[in-house]
Amino acid sequence: MHHQSLRLLALLFIALVVLQSLLGGAVFATIVGWTPHAIGHYYAQKSLHGLLETLLPHTLFIAIALMGTLHFLGFISTISEKQKERWIHLLFGLFILDQSAPVFINLGIDFFAYVKLSAFVGFEGALAGVSYVLFRHTLGKGLIIPK
Amino acid sequence: MKFIVSKKLIDNRALYVSVLWMVIFLILALMLNFVAKSIDSGITPELWINHILGNEAEFIEPLTMKDLLLTLHTELFELILLFILISALLMRTSRSKKLKMALLLSGVMTLLLYPVGLLASLTCGSFAIILAWGGFVLFHLLMIGSALDILILLLRKRF
Repeated sequence: MHHQSLRLLALLFIALVVLQSLLGGAVFATIVGWTPHAIGHYYAQKSLHGLLETLLPHTLFIAIALMGTLHFLGFISTISEKQKERWIHLLFGLFILDQSAPVFINLGIDFFAYVKLSAFVGFEGALAGVSYVLFRHTLGKGLIIPK
Repeated sequence: MKFIVSKKLIDNRALYVSVLWMVIFLILALMLNFVAKSIDSGITPELWINHILGNEAEFIEPLTMKDLLLTLHTELFELILLFILISALLMRTSRSKKLKMALLLSGVMTLLLYPVGLLASLTCGSFAIILAWGGFVLFHLLMIGSALDILILLLRKRF
């Protein structure tokens, strides 16, 4: 009974995180657009100051939020150190690509519209994935108690 | 969070005081979020319906799709973080497994009801907003109640 409740809780939590990722995608699609062409057009017409207005708070706060979330991976015993490293590199790497791509689009390198789109989708997906991993292990017995 | 809230927590004064303050701020954040939402959208379901769907008689414009998505995306991120922190603390308390599971399941279900209801309001109208309102209020009450219980247990050193 307890096991089933735990499974239901994890499933509902995944639904919540997936919904949040989809909402992130919907916000992006509504404001910026969903095709590389629309993305390229949106960022190409922005001034550097306009880009920095979004870039600066995101760089600071998402990095802190990622650090806060990802450091919990250090206390999970049921996934390998290599896997933890991959999650961390993946999220920070995709975040850098996602945030820096608009600057390159603004400089006239249209290819970065594809980079932005891929990085954004990848980041939302990876964030949903790591949130689920953390939540599952928070409820389970996979956490290490430091001495 | 088990590494923070373990039996050794009481012995480690710095960790104990930090967790204590964090719980106080979690309660404060939930209360402030509730107040902010009441100011923004209103406190009753009727006011929420007016705010989201608009009201011609009172010259209230409906919320744009962009604003609705943006608000939901920002709020949900914050509420998920609050839920993770409180659930991680709650799981380590001495309360019965059944009670803890019931609280967490109710918490996650009410939290899901809030965005789902608001998104459904685009097609289902005011009924979905009433569900979203119910989810939002119940989630806050449940989480504030759970956090207060954690705070009392911490103060009584019963972790």
